[in-house]
Amino acid sequence: MDTFTQLTLNGLTEGSTYALIALGYTLVYGVLKLLNFAHGDVFMVGSFIGYGILKVLGGAGDPQVPVWLLLTLMVLGGMVGCAVLGVAIERFAYRPLRDAPRIAPLISALGVSFFLANSFQLMFGAQQYNYGIFFLDGGSLYTEGFNIGNVHIPLIAIITILSAFALMVALWLLVTRTRTGKAMRATSFDREAAAMMGIDIDRVIVFTFIIGSALAGAGGVMFALRVPTAASIGFVIGLKGFTAAVIGGIGSIPGAMAGGLILGFAEAYIAGYWTTRWSDLVIFSVLILFMLFRPSGLLGQAGIKKV
Amino acid sequence: MRKTKSFPLFAAAVAATALAATVSATPAAAKSTRATAGISCSKTLDIGMLAPLTGAAGFLGQEQLSWAKYAVKTLPATMGLKVKLVPGDLPVEKGQADAQAVAQKFISDKNMVAVVGGSTSGSVVSTSTALTQAGLVQVSPSATRTTLTKGDNQQATNAFFRVVPADDYQGSTDAKYMTDVLKVKNVVIFDFQEPYSLGLGGEVERDLKAAGVTTSHQSVANTVTDFSSFVTKVPSDADIVFFPTQSPGSAEAFAEQLVQQGKKAKVFGGDGSNGLGEFKAPGSYISSFAPSITGFAADKAVIAGWQKDNKGKPVGSFGPAAYGAVQVILAAVKAACDKGKGSIAKRSLVIGQMRKVHIDKGWILGGKFAWSTTNTRDPSVTKFYILQIQGNGSYKLMN
Amino acid sequence: MSQPEDLQEPSGPAIGQDEWVARHGERRSRRSGWIGDIEERARRAPWWAWLVLFVAAFALLPLVSHDGYVRRVAFETALYMTLALGLNIVVGWGGLLDLGYVAFYAIGAYGYAMLSSPQFGIHLPTVVTVPLMVVVGAIAGFLVGLPSRRLIGDYLAIVTLFFLQITQTVLVNGDQIAGHDLTGGANGIINVDPFHLFGHDIAVQHEGVFAVAYLYIAIAFFAVVYVALHFLNDSRTGRAWRSLREDALAAEAMGMPVNLLKLMAFSFGAATAAFTGTLFAAVQTSVFPLTFSFALVITVYTMVILGGQGSLAGVAVGAIVVNVMLEFLRDPGDARILIYVVGVLALAFAFGRTRKLAVLLAAVVIFGFVAHAVAEAINPDWVAGPAANGFDQALSNWVIIPTELANWVGPVSYIGLVCLALALTLMSPRWRYVVLVPTIYLGTFVWENVLLAQPDATRYIVLGVMLIGLMILRPNGLLGERRVEIV
Repeated sequence: MDTFTQLTLNGLTEGSTYALIALGYTLVYGVLKLLNFAHGDVFMVGSFIGYGILKVLGGAGDPQVPVWLLLTLMVLGGMVGCAVLGVAIERFAYRPLRDAPRIAPLISALGVSFFLANSFQLMFGAQQYNYGIFFLDGGSLYTEGFNIGNVHIPLIAIITILSAFALMVALWLLVTRTRTGKAMRATSFDREAAAMMGIDIDRVIVFTFIIGSALAGAGGVMFALRVPTAASIGFVIGLKGFTAAVIGGIGSIPGAMAGGLILGFAEAYIAGYWTTRWSDLVIFSVLILFMLFRPSGLLGQAGIKKV
Repeated sequence: MRKTKSFPLFAAAVAATALAATVSATPAAAKSTRATAGISCSKTLDIGMLAPLTGAAGFLGQEQLSWAKYAVKTLPATMGLKVKLVPGDLPVEKGQADAQAVAQKFISDKNMVAVVGGSTSGSVVSTSTALTQAGLVQVSPSATRTTLTKGDNQQATNAFFRVVPADDYQGSTDAKYMTDVLKVKNVVIFDFQEPYSLGLGGEVERDLKAAGVTTSHQSVANTVTDFSSFVTKVPSDADIVFFPTQSPGSAEAFAEQLVQQGKKAKVFGGDGSNGLGEFKAPGSYISSFAPSITGFAADKAVIAGWQKDNKGKPVGSFGPAAYGAVQVILAAVKAACDKGKGSIAKRSLVIGQMRKVHIDKGWILGGKFAWSTTNTRDPSVTKFYILQIQGNGSYKLMN
Repeated sequence: MSQPEDLQEPSGPAIGQDEWVARHGERRSRRSGWIGDIEERARRAPWWAWLVLFVAAFALLPLVSHDGYVRRVAFETALYMTLALGLNIVVGWGGLLDLGYVAFYAIGAYGYAMLSSPQFGIHLPTVVTVPLMVVVGAIAGFLVGLPSRRLIGDYLAIVTLFFLQITQTVLVNGDQIAGHDLTGGANGIINVDPFHLFGHDIAVQHEGVFAVAYLYIAIAFFAVVYVALHFLNDSRTGRAWRSLREDALAAEAMGMPVNLLKLMAFSFGAATAAFTGTLFAAVQTSVFPLTFSFALVITVYTMVILGGQGSLAGVAVGAIVVNVMLEFLRDPGDARILIYVVGVLALAFAFGRTRKLAVLLAAVVIFGFVAHAVAEAINPDWVAGPAANGFDQALSNWVIIPTELANWVGPVSYIGLVCLALALTLMSPRWRYVVLVPTIYLGTFVWENVLLAQPDATRYIVLGVMLIGLMILRPNGLLGERRVEIV
């Protein structure tokens, strides 16, 4: 039972990170019909920004500000930094190609992904960077928390999961309750009609990128709070995030959240109960099956494209 | 409408320039390898170095490069030689095609007499044949795969030497320490789906099983940094997790997650986990093929000189081995020069001299250096050093 | 080359032929003077002219240079050229974004390795293995292409990418499949047999120097594929592919067997990759799973995009340019020159042979010397970095190369350069002209101090930037045709 609890906790923490990335994919795909390959690398940039802020404020061994403020600043910094990066990517790499054949922005996205990952490798080397949260405040983030059975749920896990959920709820409210959210949904439904209705498409797209990239940035910081980050993690994380988005149904926000959690649990249980060696293979194969037989995912809707 | 801007012409111009430049941009000294009319020892000789200078293992290669550079700066003058170090970057992610291309570059260099490397066992496998055929001796400071020089199907040629003992010694030393000193009952072995950990982990597992210890095996992809589920699978009564990663950061993360999930097992890393300041979880172990040379009084001057050139960098264990490799190479080259009365008729003569090399004074890794009598391309010293991480993050020698 | 040979004026409206399309040849404006002449001739040259050019260049190379390294690079270039031809079928002709292309390369290499090595003790003769792997590759391509019937664009890209990941996982863990060692796992398969032709084993090296025979074999492979693809392109299938690429829906409405065409594109592409893979395995005498990575996919894609999707000769030229550039970037010593040559050429191309260019270059040079002098005055250590001889020496008086770089200088200057470059695209032409000067100088600074320190990362940064730039500025690459999208 303890194993199950621990694995569930692992799955929940990983899954909430995947959900944040999947949301970014879903949002951008909704308005642009483009798979943003560079999204995983934006995630990576977020984790590096968090590291930078941590170091500027004294590092995990000797922070100059209270722990709560430190964490908040890191996450906010990651969100803001990645939002700016996302806007830049959209403006310079995707906007000129908005009317080009579909293959063009995809290849451009590949180029951006490679450029980001290798630029960071150039600037910061290929080694892993550890936030060292384990040593922060005498390890209190790990020792405090509560127990379920024999399993200790550390404070850091609680913070991570709750923050991720808070962000997702905020996003959901934004998209369903505000005018901008309505504009986003309209644009993702039919871009030309939305333009004719007087919605400024450019602004909506920029806004989408801001939100999506900010989520990725937050995800990056929260991810790196637990595990080391490196310049090369963007690629694999991007694939996982995309898997989560497709499983949940690309274009659907609750779908992305669900997909992320499902993927997190699947990884944890497969690795925990069966074998770690083939877990990637299983997940990728499941995804391919999904795409072949249920491309709309679990919660998405099969769309009918008019020609 | 499409305005031609002479792109095809531009393309042709670029292609032609590139082709011409490639043909003419042959490495420093020579354009042809036909003339092997002896290399004069009074001219500057080249020593190549094959190491991962960039990429994930770049920290290893850079450390080795700094020590090799220092050796080339200080030692040849005392022997009456002039030497230049020519580095070749072989990132581990790049695979073997690159290794062969760089090897070809070295072969074309008429003034090259020896090669330090390859640093990684994989690069040795790719380059040894070509380099040996061209007569270039290779001395590696860190390629520890056992099958390079031992066994029926040796993967390296007979011109490949190494100044550090092979993995089978590391594996057996580690296993022996675990059974004799740590008295383990239950050990988890990890591999990272790449040759180094597969080899080392396999050796350790074999020895432990033979000693009656309960072992279990987990395999994790090299790119994974989130070990939480793997940690969950570690049995709560496991004493040690053998974790031969090549990234100290991963070792640290794993150790932290072990504590976090309440497992009592301690991390036991290989020489790839050796990273002062990065891997600092107290109570963990590291096995290294070279001791920290700061303990040797005879090396004080060398260390001081190196630190002057490399301010602020810690003295690791990968680097001094590269210094040692250069020491050995210079000894062989000097012997060949002396034998040939001031010139080396063929590069392959250095290989012959290498077999006879022994260093009685000033061996950087302590004591004397000689080739093993049983396996003449490995060092006679077969000791591996076990270090434990103390509470303040420092490493303490345990054996 | 896939352009119409007929450039004469139509005598009048032709029945059944769209006027606008028919006059397509006329709308190509000619450059004046002798350059225009050469271009016209080049465009009218027969299709095999390019092939003869390539083969001759590669065949004569060993006579010009005895350097093993040069031959090795030439061999790799020929390999890449063939690979690029194969990718061209899928992307350039079929319009399918296949990100898992390299998996077929791996299949070819591993297949050859498994059949001609001590791994299973099988040593099939080369003349059997190579055609066999071509067939296996074609079948694999067919199978992978099956999902493409239901997927478009982005989704197909992801599925093929996942196929690549699956292939890599299987190769890396292939020594544990149900207890059997199939692929040698992470250690790969070594001691693979070299090619055995005309009764001789062709050794990979002679006294360490790369064997010329393999260079010839590689170019022969290239020629075979080139000829085969040319005839394929000229056939009904080729035309059907082009129509599929331009507008799949219209093609289907016209009665083309779209699904079959897609499958054929995948098959032929995969077969070419597998064909190349066998040669790769033989020369490397070993295969490792790490080689067949996504980075390789990006490299081949850059070659295809740069050369011009859809154009056989273009793709080959793209392969040459990219591979030679990457070789230059391997060594900081060689790579230094690259930026200056390419930079000047690029500026010349952008501004044409005008006074503006001369003024710009002069301004950059003067700016450089001034900045260098200022830096030296502030702190001599800032300009005392290592420099070699000759041209390098002159250069080190112009660029700022400090002896030691503080940690923050690298990232800050790099990010600054990227931001400046992006900002340039937003400015008005006059401001752009002015700001270009410090940008170029900052560029050389970043190049010398940051990019050259890590040639490995620089390679991929250059590839990434090329992909983005090409897509935005010139999607038809060097020799490709501009796609006409009718909405």
